[in-house]
Amino acid sequence: MSQQADGKMSTLRAANLSRRRFLRGLGACMALPAMESVLTSALQAAGPAVASTPGGAPVRMAYVYFPNGAHQSHWWPTGEGANFEFAKTMQPLAGLKNRVQVIGGLDHIHATAGQDGAGDHARANGTFLTGVRVKKTAGGDIHAGVSIDQVVAEKVGHLTRFPSLELTCDAVRKSGNCDSGYSCAYQHNLSWRSPTVPMAPEPNPRFVFERLFGAGEIGERRKNIQMRQAQQRSILDFVLEDARSLQKQLASRDKQKLDEYLTSVRELEKQIEQAEKFKDTPDPAVQTPEGIPGNFEEHMRLMYSMMVLAFQTDSTRIATFLLAGDGNNRAFPHINIPEGHHYLSHHQNKADMMEKVAEIDLWYMKQFAWFLQKMEETKDLDGRSLLENSMIVYGCGNSDGNRHTHVNLPIVLAGGGGGLLKPGRFVKAGGVPMSNLLLSLADRMGAKGLERFGDSTGRFELI
Amino acid sequence: MYSAQRFQNQWLPAAVLGLTLVISQAGQLQQNDFDGTDFQKKIQPILTEYCSDCHADGMNKGNIALDEFKSHQQMLADKKLWLGVLKNVRAGLMPPEKKEKPSEEEKQALEQWIKRTVFQLDPAQPDPGRVTLRRLNRVEYRNTIRELMDYDFKAFEEFPPDDTGYGFDNIGDVLTVSPLLLEKYVQAAETIVGKAVPLQPRVVKERVVPGREIKATEGEGNAERFRFKRAVTFTKQFKVEQSGRYRVTLDAIVDGSFDFDTAKALVRYSVDGKERFAREFKWEENLKVPDQFEVDWEAGEHTLMLQVEPLAESTKEHTFVEFRVGSVNVQGPLDPKFWSATRNYDRFFTRAEPPVELEQQHAYAREVLHRFAEKAFRRPVDERTVERLQKLAAEIYTQPGKRFEEGISRAMVAVLASPRFLFRTEEPLNGEAAVSEVDEYALASRLSYFIWSTMPDNELLELARKGELRKNLPGQLKRMLADRRSEEMVENFTGQWLQIRDVEGVAINPRVVLRREGVRERFEFDHDLRTAMRRETEMYFGHIVKEDRSVLELLSSDYTFLNERLAKHYKIEGVQGHEMRKVQLPPENPRGGVLTHGAVLAVTSNPTRTSPVKRGLFVLENIMGTPTPPPPPDVPELEEAGKEFKDREPTLREMLELHRSQPLCRSCHNRMDPLGLALENFNALGMYREMERNAAIDTTGQLATGEQFTSIRDLKLILASDRKTDFYRCLTEKFLTYALGRGLEYYDVETVDQIVARLEKGGGKFSELMAGVIESAPFQKRRNVSGVNTAAVTNNQ
Repeated sequence: MSQQADGKMSTLRAANLSRRRFLRGLGACMALPAMESVLTSALQAAGPAVASTPGGAPVRMAYVYFPNGAHQSHWWPTGEGANFEFAKTMQPLAGLKNRVQVIGGLDHIHATAGQDGAGDHARANGTFLTGVRVKKTAGGDIHAGVSIDQVVAEKVGHLTRFPSLELTCDAVRKSGNCDSGYSCAYQHNLSWRSPTVPMAPEPNPRFVFERLFGAGEIGERRKNIQMRQAQQRSILDFVLEDARSLQKQLASRDKQKLDEYLTSVRELEKQIEQAEKFKDTPDPAVQTPEGIPGNFEEHMRLMYSMMVLAFQTDSTRIATFLLAGDGNNRAFPHINIPEGHHYLSHHQNKADMMEKVAEIDLWYMKQFAWFLQKMEETKDLDGRSLLENSMIVYGCGNSDGNRHTHVNLPIVLAGGGGGLLKPGRFVKAGGVPMSNLLLSLADRMGAKGLERFGDSTGRFELI
Repeated sequence: MYSAQRFQNQWLPAAVLGLTLVISQAGQLQQNDFDGTDFQKKIQPILTEYCSDCHADGMNKGNIALDEFKSHQQMLADKKLWLGVLKNVRAGLMPPEKKEKPSEEEKQALEQWIKRTVFQLDPAQPDPGRVTLRRLNRVEYRNTIRELMDYDFKAFEEFPPDDTGYGFDNIGDVLTVSPLLLEKYVQAAETIVGKAVPLQPRVVKERVVPGREIKATEGEGNAERFRFKRAVTFTKQFKVEQSGRYRVTLDAIVDGSFDFDTAKALVRYSVDGKERFAREFKWEENLKVPDQFEVDWEAGEHTLMLQVEPLAESTKEHTFVEFRVGSVNVQGPLDPKFWSATRNYDRFFTRAEPPVELEQQHAYAREVLHRFAEKAFRRPVDERTVERLQKLAAEIYTQPGKRFEEGISRAMVAVLASPRFLFRTEEPLNGEAAVSEVDEYALASRLSYFIWSTMPDNELLELARKGELRKNLPGQLKRMLADRRSEEMVENFTGQWLQIRDVEGVAINPRVVLRREGVRERFEFDHDLRTAMRRETEMYFGHIVKEDRSVLELLSSDYTFLNERLAKHYKIEGVQGHEMRKVQLPPENPRGGVLTHGAVLAVTSNPTRTSPVKRGLFVLENIMGTPTPPPPPDVPELEEAGKEFKDREPTLREMLELHRSQPLCRSCHNRMDPLGLALENFNALGMYREMERNAAIDTTGQLATGEQFTSIRDLKLILASDRKTDFYRCLTEKFLTYALGRGLEYYDVETVDQIVARLEKGGGKFSELMAGVIESAPFQKRRNVSGVNTAAVTNNQ
């Protein structure tokens, strides 16, 4: 549904009010009665392979991507190890210093030009969670790799109502060619289910909420989500019978084609069955958000809130959030920056432009800090904070947006991973593939036994 | 002759040689030459004479040895080998240039033997083969939804791309279904039905005032897009018929280009003189500016007004910061008593309102769903299916508070997710026969998806229902080609055959390309130019279709299709305006014919320069139908060859010559390179040039079959005369592949030959090709699965 359609539902003023109410209400819904039973049963069903905290809460993993690299000198802290000071960009994290680790010296070699020429933004974005060199094509034959979140979702996704959650604040999608002959798919997606099929992220907080908890008013949603499942089921029943009767009439090669269809129907049915196992769908005591707010900050915070809600209710344990695709050229008039971000990132070392880039970096970081604060304030099943039980990577596949470099990527790893991480430090990796970190975090999610991932050369265990 | 004797012995096992020869009828080859009599008498001498130097007696050039079979049967079984022999001999590539050639009669005998004895083809009954059950591809899905639902579904954004096979994206074998795609199909079905099927017979009236109708009060321009450079007022007056309450919604955005600029403006929006907002706007990327309100209006005139007042000068000469009004939407009167019939309600429902009585609702649901499913499945639907659909609908509409239409919508979702909608199911006229014509519904779909890339319309389905489609085929074909929808065939076929779809995305660096010619001007290879190039080739092909010209004009003509931009690019004068039109070329102009089209020239180039190799291969593959095999692994880059020239930069031609001096490369590049080099007068952007890197371009060359040429003009004429049969065959093969949705097999040689013969006889007219394909066995018929009477199964469901 278009944003205009959403806009029509009420006047702007009312929409603003209800959004504010939503953001405020988020605090009030923090304790959900239904949650604990869901959690315990799911964990018991899962057995020992799953990563869980000593207190029995699951570990969550999220990747948050900001575009166009970071102003280098304002980004990197001084000092090392536990003894470090944030520079300007990370000041918003000051209150959470013991919950985050800053990691330097991680590289994405496949984001560099290599034989492929221009297109650093597409590559930075496409390589970030896949660790592979994406195919330079503007056409239908896109090819990246399965992203790490989907690798993990494949292993532990069945334990929650949703294997994974994909979010973005980019509401306008282009198609075809975006960056120097690369398909837009690389810049619009972080998560890839297969090398050719990206997991399209959702920009509309309302749709995210309704998918997670059902449509309608508080108290009606559980019933609605069940009704929706029943409806989908009746459609699938119909087409399954259709396919079966058709199957009888066909020759062998045609049967194979229809088999693909039948198998797919059964897969979908399994997904619905999986969802139906979780009978006590949580129903957060908040109003369903309206569509996409015009205000970027509100939009971003709503999307972050969706992540908090999804983790808190154990609807999923894996999320990716593309704040904006790499190369995004949004203006930031609300912090007195009328120019576009991408334009500014090519600052040619002009001081005023560089300062503006740093201001934008700071603004993005403020929103991330707001999210971490929410995670910190939310109590998990084992009595610890949700943040303590999570592993949240905040970063970009470009380091210096002006020079388009892809070594020493700006990476923050927030959360305690349920005790599996050692936050509160500035860690220097000294030039190893970012894929090593992705692999080590996958281990901690219970997706063990992966030999390698992307261009990994080993594991990154300094975390 | 010792060697000939040895040759003979190896070709035929001793047992066969010992048999008494059976004399066949005067010169006729036997279809069932099981003992090899015909072969020994008529074919073997030809092979011995012309082929054995390289392909027998221990020689196996190109890994082809014709005398290493264990038995005659084994020799006949290797259809791939003989198909290769047939193609190479026909195209004059074998025997190679300096060797002695067989006479026309000898060639004929060999061809006939391969077709009749090896392939077992019967000219009176060509084997139709069998196309695999085809899923609708993205183009077909979008078009079918548009036709069926009157809704424009963005299949290219919602669905993953389709795989291609044999160069086309409508090939049954490679069109797969994955769980993800099925999930998307179900979602799409819900979205489409949700958007397209009205749930209310009557709705509030709505009037959309597009931004372009809100005109500047002085001078040119409208509110669809205006830049922040001068003060201007836009107004639009419109009339409402009834007094009442109205809702007015503005849909607008502010947007700048990549480069920031300082332009700033105050924009005022007012309705009937009452200000809705006065806001200051600066550079933004796609900032939405919505506004909505309700108002009581009298019947009569009302006025929309937008005023722009620049507040700051732009830092640039031309500012790109602009305000864009998509539309102003006026709904009303909101009171239901003024509502009007919902758009498209009668498309899906046959009555003005659903009945109230439940039993009548059930009956009406069956009627509505029967009608819909039959159209969506493109063939009759059995009662059981209708029952099941009605039950699905009743699950919803019998619930309190649910409308009848909501139930019907539910069932329609099921129809659009059904394999009978997503796949093109076909049934034979006679399921008992080994080969049978497909039934007329299947024929209707074959025709419509081939020519229109969409479902059959009512007329086709009605003829199929009456069993009169085959009877009326010529008339229907004419009607279908005249229909606007036949543009789809032109776009989808030429787009893939000549790869011109790719011109929109091909990466070419104009700066580097033009520098090779000493040009340092800035040049944008932008969307407009790329589109004009694509349209040139499409319209050119479309012209040949519509005017029923000879397909040889695809190779050479004295006209092309241009607009001002493309004409400038081609340095052709006297073409003004954006619109593409047919242009007569000046005498001696090298353009005309697809090989000189910008789109073809660009998609066959490298990002920084032309690629004679790519272009040569393109001509071999898509014009002459004799592609070379892929290069062996580990061949050095062409540029590596250039290192041999120590003191100067070699020309591309010199590098290629050096490259060809290596035996490994020679045999294929001897065929590719001259064709590509003949196109060297066109750079990677398709612009004409005579010099590159300060050296005159040499376009002389020779085909593998010996014909010599000095320029692209010569080459075009040779291709359209001496080598025209090659082109007829190549085009037929491509067109047939697209029409059938399957790759061609050895048994299709007969069908292709018949169509080529038709083209030869009919002066190459497009209508001969078209009719040839449509009337061909594989288009009309199919092989049946033995023992399964599919029609019976359907009826007994």
